[in-house]
Amino acid sequence: MRTSVMSQMQRSFSIDLPSLIPLQLPSRRETHLWYILPDEVKSTSLLKRYSQFLSPIEKDRVDQMRGDELKKNALLARTLVRTTIARYQTNKAVDPGSLMFKKNMYGKPEVDWQNCKNYNVQPLHFNISHTDSLIACGVTVHAPVGIDVEDKERKIKHDVLAFAKRFYTTDEVNFLATILDPEAQRKEFIKLWTLKEAYVKALGKGFSAAPFNTFTIQSKPGTEGGYSLCKTSEVTANPLEKTEECNGRWKFDLLELAGSHYAAVCTEDDQADEGAPMRVIVRKTIPFVEDQLISERIFL
Amino acid sequence: MASLSATSLSFKAPSIQSTRIYQVLRKPSSFQSISFGRFQSSKSLRLQISCAAKPETVQKVSDIVKEQLALSADTALTAESKFSALGADSLDTVEIVMALEEKFNISVEEADAQNITTIQEAADLIEDLVQKKPAA
Repeated sequence: MRTSVMSQMQRSFSIDLPSLIPLQLPSRRETHLWYILPDEVKSTSLLKRYSQFLSPIEKDRVDQMRGDELKKNALLARTLVRTTIARYQTNKAVDPGSLMFKKNMYGKPEVDWQNCKNYNVQPLHFNISHTDSLIACGVTVHAPVGIDVEDKERKIKHDVLAFAKRFYTTDEVNFLATILDPEAQRKEFIKLWTLKEAYVKALGKGFSAAPFNTFTIQSKPGTEGGYSLCKTSEVTANPLEKTEECNGRWKFDLLELAGSHYAAVCTEDDQADEGAPMRVIVRKTIPFVEDQLISERIFL
Repeated sequence: MASLSATSLSFKAPSIQSTRIYQVLRKPSSFQSISFGRFQSSKSLRLQISCAAKPETVQKVSDIVKEQLALSADTALTAESKFSALGADSLDTVEIVMALEEKFNISVEEADAQNITTIQEAADLIEDLVQKKPAA
């Protein structure tokens, strides 16, 4: 489903943007995953218009980026967050530029509803991640969300197993060691990285709250892209006594975006609706221009 | 742009965050670190004075960063250069730290690794760890 709104506007030199098309908030068991492919956004006048939504601090950060491509991607990342959140205000048209953000006490960004002019408070959570060629934003309600994206072809400069031994858990190292083909092993390493990052970001307490070697993420047999989290006890020296707390509180989904990226989504299952499946709805977007529904996935 | 000189002092713009002053005495082949503890400025203007790690350390860190992030050889990096501004994500940062561990034969705590944001911070951490290493 493609909604194209302003193709005719791109021809004009100085553009005026149409209103943002409103969106229904995700339901409790849904994550909305939005992404932009920077290569698809070429109009300098559109980019200039986007920059008008940024706060002074955000503009500074964009300016600090070294190189035009990094500047553009930083601009698009802020634009994606602002316009996406603004669209969920369905009762009225709001200005993406008037959104205010703050950080929780561990540094995780969140909406500062009290200081947003004209916005209705919503139990909305978001998280962003980006690479050189893709920018993604996940949105949930009531439950925190963490996402991480990585280029599938991303090369690791170190030996993958050495890297894993240094940072991952023993179980994860053992899993990677069973993969003989180096390419396949590298890909699984990257997938694990995105899943672990997504969890830490969903948790929102900084990296020291959940060092990578204190939790194992493993794929759920019988599912496509389903993973579960097991926390390893730090206290045991005897591997036979290793206690692992595997609970279903944190849900993971691993998907591929644009044929080029792995994307991990992690959200907390508030278990209000025990057993009901969780969904990820993926849409590609160019703010103010078009949305494209990519997929709706159910994951456990 | 910060200039690295033998006087080894770099002044940052007024910052409300930290008011500690460190002074590093630079001798030809070794350095000594003296901490003066908290310093309260009587004026409303507070300066954060931090001393650059050895220029060689900063250079080595810069070289590793350039390699990891595939920057061109003539990219101008300073001690203040932020990894994120150069396009590094968390995976890059961890790889940079691993390369630094190998280069300097040190071991960095994961929490410290994830918190390094600039070349300066990396260099300072390295020198701190090198200094603390027990004699072999």
